[in-house]
Amino acid sequence: MAEQALEGSQPVDLTKHPSGIVPTLQNIVSTVNLDCKLELKSIALQARNAEYNPKRFAAVIMRIREPKTTALIFASGKMVCTGAKSEQQSKLAARKYARIIQKLGFPAKFKDFKIQNIVGSCDVKFPIRLEGLAYSHSAFSSYEPELFPGLIYRMKQPKIVLLIFVSGKIVLTGAKVRDETYTAFENIYPVLTEFRKNQQ
Amino acid sequence: MSDAFCSDCKRQTEVVFDHSAGDTVCSECGLVLESHSIDETSEWRTFANESGDNDPVRVGGPTNPLLTDGGLSTVIAKPSGGSSEFLSLGLVATIKDRANEIYKRVEDQKSSRGRNQDALLAACLYIACRQEDKPRTVKEICSVANGATKKEIGRAKEYIVKQLGLEQGQSVEMGTIHAGDFMRRFCSNLGMTNQAVKAAQEAVQKSEEFDIRRSPISIAAAVIYIITQLSDDKKPLKDISVATGVAEGTIRNSYKDLYPHVSKIIPSWYAKEDDLKNLCSP
Repeated sequence: MAEQALEGSQPVDLTKHPSGIVPTLQNIVSTVNLDCKLELKSIALQARNAEYNPKRFAAVIMRIREPKTTALIFASGKMVCTGAKSEQQSKLAARKYARIIQKLGFPAKFKDFKIQNIVGSCDVKFPIRLEGLAYSHSAFSSYEPELFPGLIYRMKQPKIVLLIFVSGKIVLTGAKVRDETYTAFENIYPVLTEFRKNQQ
Repeated sequence: MSDAFCSDCKRQTEVVFDHSAGDTVCSECGLVLESHSIDETSEWRTFANESGDNDPVRVGGPTNPLLTDGGLSTVIAKPSGGSSEFLSLGLVATIKDRANEIYKRVEDQKSSRGRNQDALLAACLYIACRQEDKPRTVKEICSVANGATKKEIGRAKEYIVKQLGLEQGQSVEMGTIHAGDFMRRFCSNLGMTNQAVKAAQEAVQKSEEFDIRRSPISIAAAVIYIITQLSDDKKPLKDISVATGVAEGTIRNSYKDLYPHVSKIIPSWYAKEDDLKNLCSP
C-alpha cells in the first residue's frame, strides 16, 4: 500500500511527491553477464534450488530465499533476475546467484549489470471514471472492459505504461530508473482527480 | 416522321429516322442531317410470361473501390473472404462494407502476413460494428470467428487500431462500449415487452452513476434479470445467460453488486417500492 503524507514511519517528501502518494516498487527485472559458458545440466544436478527443463525452456530456473528472487540462467552466461523489491536488492540477489555459479566451479564474473524494468503500484483511494478518462485522453488510452477491466495508459514522457482501475489502484510498469515511475505517477495524478467518480 | 430544319432546303421539313444506320434524313432532298445516333431503347422485348432464366444483359456490375483495379478485370477464382460469417450475426450492409474496407486497408499494408487470419477478420468485424455504433460483444464475434479466441481477437484488434492509426496519423475513434448498447438486442432475444425493454434501458443508464465494478455486459445481464423478476413474465437465469453470453454465476454476482442500489436504479414508473421488496435477497 502507498504511504501517505506525514503518515507511517517516514514523512513523504512533498517537493518530490506533491500528490502525497509514493508508488511502492513491486518487482525489479535486471540482467547481468557472467561472461563464461555454462554447463546447465551440471548446474541443475549440483544446485539444490535449481530446476532445468530443456524441452520447455532453455535456461536453468534458480531461486533464493533472501532476497526472494528468481533467476533465469542461460548457457551463454547471461542471467535474468526477477522478483526483487528494490534496485539494491536486485543487485544483491544477482551477486548471490553469481556466487553460487562460482562455487559450482565456473569462472563467473559480474559484468554489465542493468535494471531492465521496474513495476510500481499505489492506491489513490478514490474511484475513477475510466470511460471519461479514455475519451479525453484517447491518444494514449486503451479501455476495453470486455477484454481487461483496467484502462491501459501509454504515457509518452516518461515512457511508462500505466494500468488504471476503477477502484483507484494504479500499476506502473516499464521504468528503467525509479524516478521515471515517480514522475509518471505525478503526471497522471491530476488527471485521476479530474476523473474522480463522485459516489451517490 | 418529325420536323427539323434542313440546311439545303433552308426551311423546316419532314425528316425520317433510319434505325439501321442511325441517320436522320430530310424527306424532300435526302440530306443526312444527323448520323450515328445511339439507340438507347431496349435491344429486345420482354414479355411477362417468359421464363427469367435467360438474361441477355451485356454489362457487368458497378466498379468496386475495394478491389485494386476497381473490379474492371476478370477474376478466375476468388476466396470467400469471410463473407459467410457476416450472415450469421444478421449485420446490415454498412457494417459489412466497413469491415471489408478495414480489412483491405490492413491487407494493403502487407504487414498482416503471418498473423491469425481468422482473428484478423473477426477483429475487422468487431471494429466495424463499433464504428457504426452497433457494437457486438467479443463473445458474439467469437461465435462466428472459426475458432479464434477472445484473447486473439483482442490482440488482433489492438494491432489493427495501431496500424490504421499509423496510416492515418491519428487514433482510430471507437469510443467505449456501454451496457445500453446491447440492451435492445439482448431484450429482443428474450422476447421482453416494450415496457420492460424501456425500463431496462433506463435502469442501465442510471446504473452508470454508481461505482459498480463489473463489465458493462454483466451489468446489462443483471439488470435484465431484475426487470424480468419484477414483471409477470419472469425469466430463469439460464435463459438470460444464453441471450447475453454472461455466465450464470457472473449474473448472480453482478445482481449482488446491483442489489443495494436497486431502488435508485429501477424506474419508479415501472416498479413501486413494495414490488422491490419482493425481489429475493442475493
